[in-house]
Amino acid sequence: MTNNLRVKSSKFIDETYKISFKFNGTTYYGYKGDTLASALLASGIHLVGRSFKYHRPRGIMTAGSEEPNAIVQLHINTSRTEPNVRATEIEIYEGLEASSQNCWPSVNFDIGGINNFLSPILPAGFYYKTFMWPASFWEKYEYFIRKSAGLGRSPIEPDPDIYEHRYIHCDVLVIGAGISGIIAAKTAAKNGFKTLLIDEKSYLGGSTIYQNSEHFKINNQISSSWLEKEINEIKKIKNLEIKTRTSVAAFHGYNFLLARENLTDHLPLNQRNNKIRQRLLKIRSKKVINATGSLERPLIFDNNDRPGILLSSAIDKYSNFYGVACGEKNVLFTNNDSAYETAINLNQKGIKVEAVIDNREEVDSKLIKEVENNNIRVYKGYTVVNTSGYKRIKKVSIMKLSLDGQKIIGSKIYINCDCLGISGGWTPAVHLFTQSGGKLKFREEDQVFIPNKSFSDQISIGSCNGDFTLDEILSSVPKILKEFLNIKKSDFENLEVHSSFNKSKRNIWLLPSDKVIGKTKPFVDYQNDATAKDIKLALREGFRSIEHVKRYTTTGMGTDQGKLGNMHALGIISETAGSKMGELGTTTFRPPYTPLTFGTIVGRNVGKYFDIFRKTPIHDWHVENNAEFENVGQWKRAWYYPKNQENMHDAVQRESKAARDGAGILDASTLGKIDIQGTDASEFLNRVYTNAWSKLAIGKCRYGLMLNEDGMVYDDGVTTRLDENHYIMTTTTGGAATVLGKLEDYLQTEWPELDVYLTSVTDHYATISVCGPDSKKIISKVIPDLDLSNKSFPHMSFKNSKIDKIKCRVMRISFTGEHSYEINIQANYGKSVWQRCMEMGKEFNITPYGTETMHLLRAEKGFIIVGQDTDATMTPIDLQMDWIVSKKKYDFIGKRSLYRSDTIKENRKQLIGLLTENPDEVLEEGAQIVADINKSPVEMLGHVTSSYYSPNLKKSIALGVVRGGKSMIGQKLIIPMENKQINVTVADPVFLDKENKRLNA
Amino acid sequence: MFLIDCPYCGEREQSEFKAGGEAHIVRPKQPTELSDDEWAEYLFMRKNIKGIQFERWIHIHGCRKWFNVARDTSNDVIKVVYKMGEKPPTI
Amino acid sequence: MLNYTNVITEKKTYSGLQMDEIKPVMKLIIRGKKREFLSAIGKSLNLLLPTSANTSSKSEKLSALWLSPDEWMIYSNEISSPNNNHYETENLLNKNICKTNLGAVTDVTDQFVLINMRGDKIFDLLETGSPFNFNNFREKKGAVTQTILAKIDVIIHNQNQNEVNLFVRRSFSQHLFSWMNDSASRL
Repeated sequence: MTNNLRVKSSKFIDETYKISFKFNGTTYYGYKGDTLASALLASGIHLVGRSFKYHRPRGIMTAGSEEPNAIVQLHINTSRTEPNVRATEIEIYEGLEASSQNCWPSVNFDIGGINNFLSPILPAGFYYKTFMWPASFWEKYEYFIRKSAGLGRSPIEPDPDIYEHRYIHCDVLVIGAGISGIIAAKTAAKNGFKTLLIDEKSYLGGSTIYQNSEHFKINNQISSSWLEKEINEIKKIKNLEIKTRTSVAAFHGYNFLLARENLTDHLPLNQRNNKIRQRLLKIRSKKVINATGSLERPLIFDNNDRPGILLSSAIDKYSNFYGVACGEKNVLFTNNDSAYETAINLNQKGIKVEAVIDNREEVDSKLIKEVENNNIRVYKGYTVVNTSGYKRIKKVSIMKLSLDGQKIIGSKIYINCDCLGISGGWTPAVHLFTQSGGKLKFREEDQVFIPNKSFSDQISIGSCNGDFTLDEILSSVPKILKEFLNIKKSDFENLEVHSSFNKSKRNIWLLPSDKVIGKTKPFVDYQNDATAKDIKLALREGFRSIEHVKRYTTTGMGTDQGKLGNMHALGIISETAGSKMGELGTTTFRPPYTPLTFGTIVGRNVGKYFDIFRKTPIHDWHVENNAEFENVGQWKRAWYYPKNQENMHDAVQRESKAARDGAGILDASTLGKIDIQGTDASEFLNRVYTNAWSKLAIGKCRYGLMLNEDGMVYDDGVTTRLDENHYIMTTTTGGAATVLGKLEDYLQTEWPELDVYLTSVTDHYATISVCGPDSKKIISKVIPDLDLSNKSFPHMSFKNSKIDKIKCRVMRISFTGEHSYEINIQANYGKSVWQRCMEMGKEFNITPYGTETMHLLRAEKGFIIVGQDTDATMTPIDLQMDWIVSKKKYDFIGKRSLYRSDTIKENRKQLIGLLTENPDEVLEEGAQIVADINKSPVEMLGHVTSSYYSPNLKKSIALGVVRGGKSMIGQKLIIPMENKQINVTVADPVFLDKENKRLNA
Repeated sequence: MFLIDCPYCGEREQSEFKAGGEAHIVRPKQPTELSDDEWAEYLFMRKNIKGIQFERWIHIHGCRKWFNVARDTSNDVIKVVYKMGEKPPTI
Repeated sequence: MLNYTNVITEKKTYSGLQMDEIKPVMKLIIRGKKREFLSAIGKSLNLLLPTSANTSSKSEKLSALWLSPDEWMIYSNEISSPNNNHYETENLLNKNICKTNLGAVTDVTDQFVLINMRGDKIFDLLETGSPFNFNNFREKKGAVTQTILAKIDVIIHNQNQNEVNLFVRRSFSQHLFSWMNDSASRL
């Protein structure tokens, strides 16, 4: 342990509650309320990581989510490990274990540090330039590049935590609970708006809440005391919901925002079980108030990245909020008044400030005076030109700036220190505003981008709107809110504000050095090790667009998304290129604002809730009878029913044979079913199907083919005429929803004059198909009252019936080519009817079969499956289904496309059958079909779409599509495989019972 | 994600809707009378505007009704929502 | 007799929430556009169909939910016998609506599973998976909405303070009910 740097008890830290944690294997102590960063600083630890490219030692630099350096891996080698956690955000808890990233073997001795000395040969774009040639070497380079790429290690075990999503709808969302946000939330809620206030920190009040200076007063109270009272009041307001530890990740159009609410990350591990770790809030707010504050800018000079160099405001927060001194000999370097607040605070706590270096020449304010009165040396018109100290800053060297700020003059002065605070002024946090599509404008006087135009109902207030001082905030915020919320009066008007802050600032993007730029390392992006030198190189090499420079130099592409350095990058580019900042634009800020875990994004959509499943009414029976299942769309369908350790092939062969020899039974409940009613129902069917429907008699069924307007096959199925104006249409399982959508589209938009109503009844019915030569005998036992004679109940007809007292519909239709019946009954009776069919069919060896056998049986008959034997390029003519296309009908969907120049070509891909030379050889579905293997390049004629071994024909059969295939019956073709060629003969696609004898057997 | 003001059900989240492409493309009454080029114009040719675009949307997870939307494709702001069969508004 | 096999077999109880299936309950989808259609329904059922969006009406025996300008769901307030699926209301409407070409009547009794939810945490559960804004809905007795819950289409009928009826297609119901229980266990 090093010396304790706790300087003063703070009310935000509970010193009675001691917490132990480990960092890089060593145990340290902190208090409840500490972040990992504040607890480490209290123990004198600054060096926490190594930079990405040069492996330079890096220390804690900020006290917030903008931290580029202090990113750690938590709980390495456990299921809860997480990389890239900002030490400045994670609150310590008993048992916390954190380790540095991007260093080996340790943060104190890192082999990769050699890159720092190699840096002259590692310029911007090094990887792009070096590993491009020769192209064939890429695979070798890749191995080494991958090894050194990336920050941190991703977890390899399943995440033990639970994540949740929640939708929130509110009238007003206030992002940020600093002084502006608190005023906004209170104003909105008091005026009856349902309000949500969120802040990424664990406490409310932003940076004002730990202000303790006589220089900033509201109504004659110190600003923090005034704000504390306001916070206590808003906690009591009923229509105001407050969420802390919640950060907005994304601000989309239409005021839709995503925020991560952190619920357990601050708790000891043993208190987290079965609790939701993080919740993704999906917020819809009528109005959004951005009160996201501002980020302090660093200053860009040679070696501005050493451990011990922090933002001046961070040093202020560590001392005021956490009661921690970042150093014992502090130097501050600034271009504005902010650093003087820090100097005064440190001085009051007895922390030594050696000097303040101010690049402004002629400047005076109450704050500066007070610093000078405390015998702290102020160097006006000076700049830091270099720093020294490898793992911790030891010394700064400063020189006088020329009047134009572009050069340095005079001689060097050295000042010893162990901590350097830098302040380059403030940048409004406009990230969320721009994510939502908002446009920025550039304010010349202090060189900041502030919100301008937005496309949703939102407003930016306080320092994210460019009002940085207390008096500016308190005079502008109430006015803006009154207008935005359309209210008459605000409690916050006419406050008496006292602020000593002087707004003057001297902005120099890249501070001059006594060395040539090539010899310096002024870091702009700390995390990705991009320096001002790299940006200038990119411009010399011809890059002009800010987006290109960003990608070439990787500036702003780390996990911190360039929160600190982006403005400087822009400034350096505009200065070097001689363009104006306002015209250059900015890079695009993309979500998430701070990194999100995958768990939060995914929420509960994992494991069994990863995807939706649908089950048929007979599902449980299939499970009880050992079925294997296949996913068809969202449905779980019985695939096959293995018996006595059968494999899939054996089961399917047995089921297929049984269905043709005796009886088979299939659960067809997944087929889409649409109830069609209305006086124009027949006319409607005429228009949507290729064949004619007007003459279909009541009680009869017909197969229909539906096309898209482009003439390609879209769906198929059997439709039954139940009554004069009443039909029931079946669709494919996968097409059910889209077919209904398409039909509604035509009814509502093209043919609103038709009197037709469509209602989905897919889930209302269980559909049980019993097929095979014995099917009639079985159905006659299941429904004894039904006349099954061919005369009364022929193929392609239907009857209303009852099983016990339950009404049902029975269709005599077939997808297997066998004599078969389809029972449609209300779903809740489906399982019972299925069981009765099994019981009644026992003596005929009724065999349940799944989708695989169904596919085999229909392939024997050459029946197509839409989506398997067709894609969106097959017309009915291509499928050799000319018979189903009505020549008489004037119009139907897709008719005109059937004689476009392309669709009437002779050599289109057409559906054919394929027989292998060796009857035992089964083709692979998807295999390519060629005629001449020696031609170069080999011409692909088509591919295999369906392929099975048929136990009924005792040979291999296949369907395929082949260019000009219709006229190739009998021709020999070749299927080239990886290690062989298979000879096939083109055949008629109907392999079995072409005369349809079995249908009436 | 947009909020879309369904002309029948009121304002709902985009996830309840499905987009259906450009609006006001009327299916020719007599397709057989058209040349290949004329039919192709109806079938394939679509505008892709930066600015106000008239589109069809269906409230697929709600009332299942189609309607038209005038949306500015440059910022996704929906200017007007109107029913099928109504004329496109002038914007 | 045929066995009646519904999907949800257990009543689930959590603090502030109870959920179970109510069955068998007759459900019909009725569709029509003409004024005569509305009056014929009114006369046949002694129930005025709601014509404003997202509302419902109720008689002693039936509830009618607005689904679309030309579509309503009518469901029985009483449970029927599982040994019989002939419904008087359906027969009556077939006669007075279908046969007279005024509109369409379709039996959807088993198309939808009716999940009854009671308790003060109903909307806390719905908010974990539905993008619908329930802020006004929850205060409005008789309000109806069709929306998505856990990516599944649902119809929600606000019965009363702390009681809603939720309709989901049967094939999705087991998945949805399981999801709802998973969510309820952490409210």
